[in-house]
Amino acid sequence: MDRSRYFLIGLGVLLMAALVVVVGLSLTAGERPARVLPVQAAPTPTLPTEAGMYARVDAAAEYAAMPKEPNRKRTRAVYYARRAYPGAPPVIPHAIDEGDAGGRLCLACHGDGGWAPRFEAYAPVTPHPELISCRQCHVPQSPSPNPLPRGERVFTTLAPGGGEGRVRGSVSDWQTVTPPPLRGAAMPGSPPPIPHALQMRENCRACHAGPAAVDEFRTSHPERVTCRQCHALAAPPAEAFARPAEGGR
Amino acid sequence: MNRRDVLKSMAAGAAIGAAEAMFPGVFFVPAGGLSTAAAQTPAADGGLAWKKTPCRFCGVGCGLLVGISNGRAVAVKGDPASPVNRGLCCVKGYHSVMALYGKDRLTRALVRKDGKLVPVPMKEALDLVASKMAETIKTHGKDAVAMYGSGQWTIPDGYVASKFMKGGIGTNNLEGNARLCMASAVTGFMTSFGLDEPMGCYEDIDHADTFVLWGNNMAEMHPVLFSRLLERRLKNPDVKIIDLATRWTRTSMAADRSILFKPQTDLAIANAICHEIIRNDWVHTGFVRDHVSFHEGKTSIGYGLEDKFAFKDEPKTITLERYRELLADYSVEKVEALSGVPARELRYLASLYADPRRKVMSLWCMGFNQHTRGTWINNLVYNIHLLVGKIATPGNSPFSLTGQPSACGTVREVGTLTHRLPHGDVTDEKARKLAAEIWSVPVERIPAKPTYHTVEMFRAVDRGDIRFLWIQVTNPMVTMPKLRRYRDGLKKDDRFIVVSDVYPTPTTDVADVVLPAAMWIEREGMFGNSERRTQHFDRMLTPPGEAMSDTWQIIEVARRMGFEKLFPWSEATHIPEIWKEYSRFQHGPDHEMAPYEELKKRPGVMWPFVNGKETKWRYNGQYDPAAKGAFDFYGKPDHRAWIWFRPYEAPPEVPDAQYPFWLNTGRVLEHWHTGSMTRRVPILHQAVPAAYVELHPDDARRLGIGNGQRVRLVTRRGALVLPAQIDGRARPPEGQVFVPFFDEGLLINELTLDAYCPISGQPDYKKCAVKVERA
Repeated sequence: MDRSRYFLIGLGVLLMAALVVVVGLSLTAGERPARVLPVQAAPTPTLPTEAGMYARVDAAAEYAAMPKEPNRKRTRAVYYARRAYPGAPPVIPHAIDEGDAGGRLCLACHGDGGWAPRFEAYAPVTPHPELISCRQCHVPQSPSPNPLPRGERVFTTLAPGGGEGRVRGSVSDWQTVTPPPLRGAAMPGSPPPIPHALQMRENCRACHAGPAAVDEFRTSHPERVTCRQCHALAAPPAEAFARPAEGGR
Repeated sequence: MNRRDVLKSMAAGAAIGAAEAMFPGVFFVPAGGLSTAAAQTPAADGGLAWKKTPCRFCGVGCGLLVGISNGRAVAVKGDPASPVNRGLCCVKGYHSVMALYGKDRLTRALVRKDGKLVPVPMKEALDLVASKMAETIKTHGKDAVAMYGSGQWTIPDGYVASKFMKGGIGTNNLEGNARLCMASAVTGFMTSFGLDEPMGCYEDIDHADTFVLWGNNMAEMHPVLFSRLLERRLKNPDVKIIDLATRWTRTSMAADRSILFKPQTDLAIANAICHEIIRNDWVHTGFVRDHVSFHEGKTSIGYGLEDKFAFKDEPKTITLERYRELLADYSVEKVEALSGVPARELRYLASLYADPRRKVMSLWCMGFNQHTRGTWINNLVYNIHLLVGKIATPGNSPFSLTGQPSACGTVREVGTLTHRLPHGDVTDEKARKLAAEIWSVPVERIPAKPTYHTVEMFRAVDRGDIRFLWIQVTNPMVTMPKLRRYRDGLKKDDRFIVVSDVYPTPTTDVADVVLPAAMWIEREGMFGNSERRTQHFDRMLTPPGEAMSDTWQIIEVARRMGFEKLFPWSEATHIPEIWKEYSRFQHGPDHEMAPYEELKKRPGVMWPFVNGKETKWRYNGQYDPAAKGAFDFYGKPDHRAWIWFRPYEAPPEVPDAQYPFWLNTGRVLEHWHTGSMTRRVPILHQAVPAAYVELHPDDARRLGIGNGQRVRLVTRRGALVLPAQIDGRARPPEGQVFVPFFDEGLLINELTLDAYCPISGQPDYKKCAVKVERA
């Protein structure tokens, strides 16, 4: 009898104390300056990320079964014509809705690819669908349905010295390097290395398989999905391997 | 070469030929070198040498890797090691190096003879600049010569300019174009915290879950940071992006909520948020009690429209109670009527800021800074963060963005403004003494009184108070508001104008001497970005012809004027030596700069850099070695952050019956400022070849204007005919038109108004009244 009374009183006291603590904490919570643990810097990776390695893997079998369409090839010449230098973001070669930043509208065709009747072509697939502000890097070069004013083909400027005429013609003296040659295998028949950087291009299938792939870049074996099992990265050029000096471990 | 190789190289040649035909302006040359014809082994990226540099363009300061082959820049990658952009760039950055190779690069000095600019040897031009400057000082006094630089000046450029003008000649006639782009941000920081530049950094983006964008179209102007916001939202569905703006843009489209308000009413909106926070008892009482003090200043402060306008604020300390009373006019209902923003949206905004579970980042740029109450609106956004204690911790961050690569590093930190020294204000005796000591000049030589800020400086040239003006790395004959007055001023007969630049521009058109400048990676230098990060770049290329870095041009002229002792450095080592000398100014835990060797190694280092550590969050005792206790706003004598009561005041010119539209101006993603570089890049030029005027479709219909048709804009200052853009990239609300300012062929600044914020001196390019008609 007594014992259960003490127990009840004890329980009551405990509950009251808990209440005081909880209410007190919640009252002072608003007064405490917001605090979080100090943030540690993330280390910079030295090898390219494996992210995207298996992206679009479900399309592999389908790609393998696709018939060849020799008349509807995207060619290497066109591929590089859209880029200022090998590795540059390609320009947008078709009309677009001026009022759109990209994202869903671009990804509707360039996310998964497929036949685009409007352009009589297969849509190239982006290797980085996670980046959705497309027009941050890709800009149109042709008039859009809502046209920007048509400019001269190149920028013209007043002649130096403020003369009458404007300087016309090509205003750029830009030159770049040739794209990497195709098939740079180390030995006859060995798998060629990857001749370009993988930054934002980790997903091989986006560009090397499927109906929109550039004919010269298309793999003969899209059904094999672990590309980097056989194709090693040729960049960045690493120093030749040497054994560590004695004791220098 | 066997048969197969021949076929292969023929095929490659044909492919490249076709590529060139389809894409003029791009010429492919063989990998591994521009002169070797033979293709080499396929080293990835063509076996280029990749060197690090910050991007040449905006204030984000992306790390780039530039591919160099045979003495030419041939490609660009985003630097994955840079914490700013982590390998991603924007279209300007990716094509930035093409801006080095425009065919009309200035490679020789030009001097005006019989009205025409004719080439002369560089030496002769520098002699002329020095003698003309000395002669002007002799006839008209020290304050008749001036220098106008920019936020694209490298840190060494700005440092030698300051030493030359303030320590050598002894005049405060030194300004930078950053006055037109972030002066209000500076005065906002100074009045609220006593020290310039953000407390947080870009890493805040990875910690915050609520982003309030105040009048900045981040998707176009800070695209790489905006992508980081979007990436953050993809990873965390709780993330909210709120776009507060006067015009519907690409940013509004990507935001979770777009709130359009009437021009200038951001002042009232910020006050309404504070009003709502106080009314609901959402104030972080502990933080406010320990770390905040309350103040008010003068009201009805004017707009600087008249020459020699002067203003001095009179701050008064007040209580929270008084602050609450002053806010009484800003209930959400009253502000709804003024701003056009529904009361429930204002309540929603206040609740986002106040929600203790949310970490809030506010971001702004030109909408706030180019504002006749720019300082006030900067103060007001800090007020919100301070009331709820969301500041200086990871993810809780009011963040002022900048537009130029070294607006922070050079103009703000080195202090290339009339009232500044490399450390402190000219009005402060201690700052003058420090400068005199480091420069080894008599302290009396540094004048204690500021002279002209940018608008007043150009007015002084027009009036004839300034007779000699040297302009470097900027294009004021496109960017000055009410442009015609200032261009006519510069063209007057007895004014001598020197312009250092890389291409002919409307500013070189009015010059008496044009000096060809080495651009960006053609010389060694440092930039400082918006998050207090100093970024070094090497000289990777040889400048064309006689082009010379801005730093060395100033040194050459200064030496000719007898200041050899101030500039004793050799051409080979002057950059590290300048850095060493400049770092002495910033010594101390609140602004310590990283040593040169560290800058060379890393893709940028944030200051304060103390004991080998960057300071990511200032004023926070856990991160900032200068702060004592949990929070310490040590920039102010009371060690508190200052909340200012700042009221709504109308802009100087509002639409009326005669000029019924608002005229708003700004930028586009593809062009950088006046387009003098980006328009020489064929890809960027083709994307946006000329300026246009954006109209709301209903306004266009009413005026009978179709897409692409010619529209005449008329303001009290001038008129301009442009093609219409309807529902193009962005859509202004009814009653507003928008024109980008990059096009030197369609100078919208002939129409804008030169009203400015009386505290910062920064003009407002976003608001004036315009008449719109079919041309």
